Amino acid sequence: MNQTDFNRRQMLALIGSAAAVAGLPTQSFAAEALKLWAPGIAKVGGSDWAAMEAQAGVPIAAIAKSARADESIQKMVVGDGNKLYDAMTDNGGGMEDALASQGAIATLDPARIANWSGILADYKDGGPAADTIRHNGDLVAIPYISNADSLAFNHGVIGEELTSWEALFDSQFRGRAAMQNDFGPTLTNTAIYLKQSGKQDIENPSDMSEAEVKGVCQFLIDLKKKGHFRTFWDGVQNGSDLLSSEEVLVSSCWEVIQIFAARKNGQDIRYGTMKEGHQSWNNVVMLTKGGQERGMEDAFYALANVYLSPWFGARTLAGLGFTPQMVGVSDYIDAHPDDFDAETKALLADRLARKQERADTPGNSWQNVFPTNIRAYQDWWARVQAA
Amino acid sequence: MAPHTPRRADGPPVGTHRASMMDRLSKGVFYLPIVFMMLFFALPMALTVVFSVFERTMFWMEPGFTLFAYENFIFSARLTNFLSSMYYSLISVAICFVLGFPIAVFLRKSVPQVAQHRVVLLFILPFMVSEIIRVFALRPVLQRNGLVNTTLQNLGLIDEPITALLYTHTGVIIGEVMSFLPFIVFSGFLAMEAVPKYIFEVCDDLGAGPVRRFVDVILPLAAPGIFAGCVFIFVNGLGVALLPNILGGAGAVNAGLIATQAIAALDFPLAMAVSAIMMTTLMTLLYIGHRLFDLTKILSPIN
Repeated sequence: MNQTDFNRRQMLALIGSAAAVAGLPTQSFAAEALKLWAPGIAKVGGSDWAAMEAQAGVPIAAIAKSARADESIQKMVVGDGNKLYDAMTDNGGGMEDALASQGAIATLDPARIANWSGILADYKDGGPAADTIRHNGDLVAIPYISNADSLAFNHGVIGEELTSWEALFDSQFRGRAAMQNDFGPTLTNTAIYLKQSGKQDIENPSDMSEAEVKGVCQFLIDLKKKGHFRTFWDGVQNGSDLLSSEEVLVSSCWEVIQIFAARKNGQDIRYGTMKEGHQSWNNVVMLTKGGQERGMEDAFYALANVYLSPWFGARTLAGLGFTPQMVGVSDYIDAHPDDFDAETKALLADRLARKQERADTPGNSWQNVFPTNIRAYQDWWARVQAA
Repeated sequence: MAPHTPRRADGPPVGTHRASMMDRLSKGVFYLPIVFMMLFFALPMALTVVFSVFERTMFWMEPGFTLFAYENFIFSARLTNFLSSMYYSLISVAICFVLGFPIAVFLRKSVPQVAQHRVVLLFILPFMVSEIIRVFALRPVLQRNGLVNTTLQNLGLIDEPITALLYTHTGVIIGEVMSFLPFIVFSGFLAMEAVPKYIFEVCDDLGAGPVRRFVDVILPLAAPGIFAGCVFIFVNGLGVALLPNILGGAGAVNAGLIATQAIAALDFPLAMAVSAIMMTTLMTLLYIGHRLFDLTKILSPIN
């Protein structure tokens, strides 16, 4: 890409974003740039969106977004997000239902996405994964990354492979353990452990009753009072710092945290497969109603096609460790030795194999952004924090 | 000879009309701060209270009247968290006072007047750096294998790293002191305006020792400024969520973090209730302070 192209594209993106933010008429720029509200993890191929634009064949005006559900709801349901953004990303397993039920996102036509045929079978066949991209049976979202969260551990210090959540709660790691400062994944992973180890009767770890939430939280409160948890982490930087600085030796976290922590000092920090199961989650991209009304469907489908291409899947797997959402990634990696050298290829093969192992664990539960008893989750989480 | 004043056929002189308009305008300028305070303080605060009694819906809230958010705050563990954060904020205030106020006294007493403001500027400089960066920068210093522990271990003073410095309430207090110490220095410096320099000489002449001079003379005179600085630190300790978030451990929560978490969970009435409670706490403190110390004295000219 030469400097002239770069300046033109950046200028268009900047003007488009500024016009959108200022509430000015955007028709003249709409044909140029897809206004995408997404976090940095939604792109691959460099520090900007140039590679994604080149693949999609459409200019993208990316607007930074956090992973907070309240931000999406405030913008898209209460605020003026539909005027500002043509497309957006968020957590599957709840947000797509919330946004679709409020008329904030459009129904999608998979026939307009050439790579739809390569999407993972789980998304086509019905069941929990398929449900994360549909609302009342209609397709409303396209998955672009997913994972099954697990336990990261400092193998160099511990000296053994950890294969059970039991380790996270074991007294040998008192004061050297951490969990995420978010009741969703923390309570779900703890519930999976308690259910599968027979310590508590829990019907569905993703959607617990008030009594079940109470039981899970009391388990955490007991541990916390004993000084078991060093902290509850927030964000990738915080989570990886904890592991790389050896503040903690075991931490339930995102895989990207383990990857960053291991890269930082070259320590042997690993991501295990827990025999009890894991919380599975995905991130999805959606076309806003505003984007549809402004005629941005073609641009959206072009981007969605990139997200379902092995080009994207291989790169998100290599860079941040996210699970590709399509078949054919290994073949793509084999066919592009210039992009993936032998060492990277072996690393990715190992990473994919471990992902498959985690995905195949019977006790897995899908993320649920809005559980039925969300108030019980919130209130009991406050008690965990206060303990 | 009386000056000639242009006059309309049926009205007052033109110059008089313009003068009275200017007069009205200049009087109106004095109302601008009131308008500003009404628009950007009183109105948002009133709306905060109103929203706090609204009914929560799945994604937002709807008009109604319920005290559920307050009930939820009081009877869940949030009240405990709130009271606990008040306690730790008070500790931060005390430490800031002990460390910061002597600096303000020293500045007023011993630094030449021409250099005083420049020295105060040194304490304001850290504010030029984003707070989140300043707080993040503390972690490599305080962590298990951080600067403090490594230095102490290298000097042979400790065998095992001190883990209480980070991810504990102690970590939050250290962060609060580092972040808010300049406030007590600055407000203390202003407060010491009320203590003329000759007071020190008079105390010396009368044989009053440093403790008596401080307790019986300096403190009463500088009390309004000291109180204002302390309230500022206390309220920030309660409200700045990033400190417990970055430096606190599993149990470090303050009111700001409670409100943030309520918003993240889409419980907007609860977030509003927490904000209203914080605001009431602040106003009560200011009222008590005003009754005790007459806070208007902070800005009074020195005689």
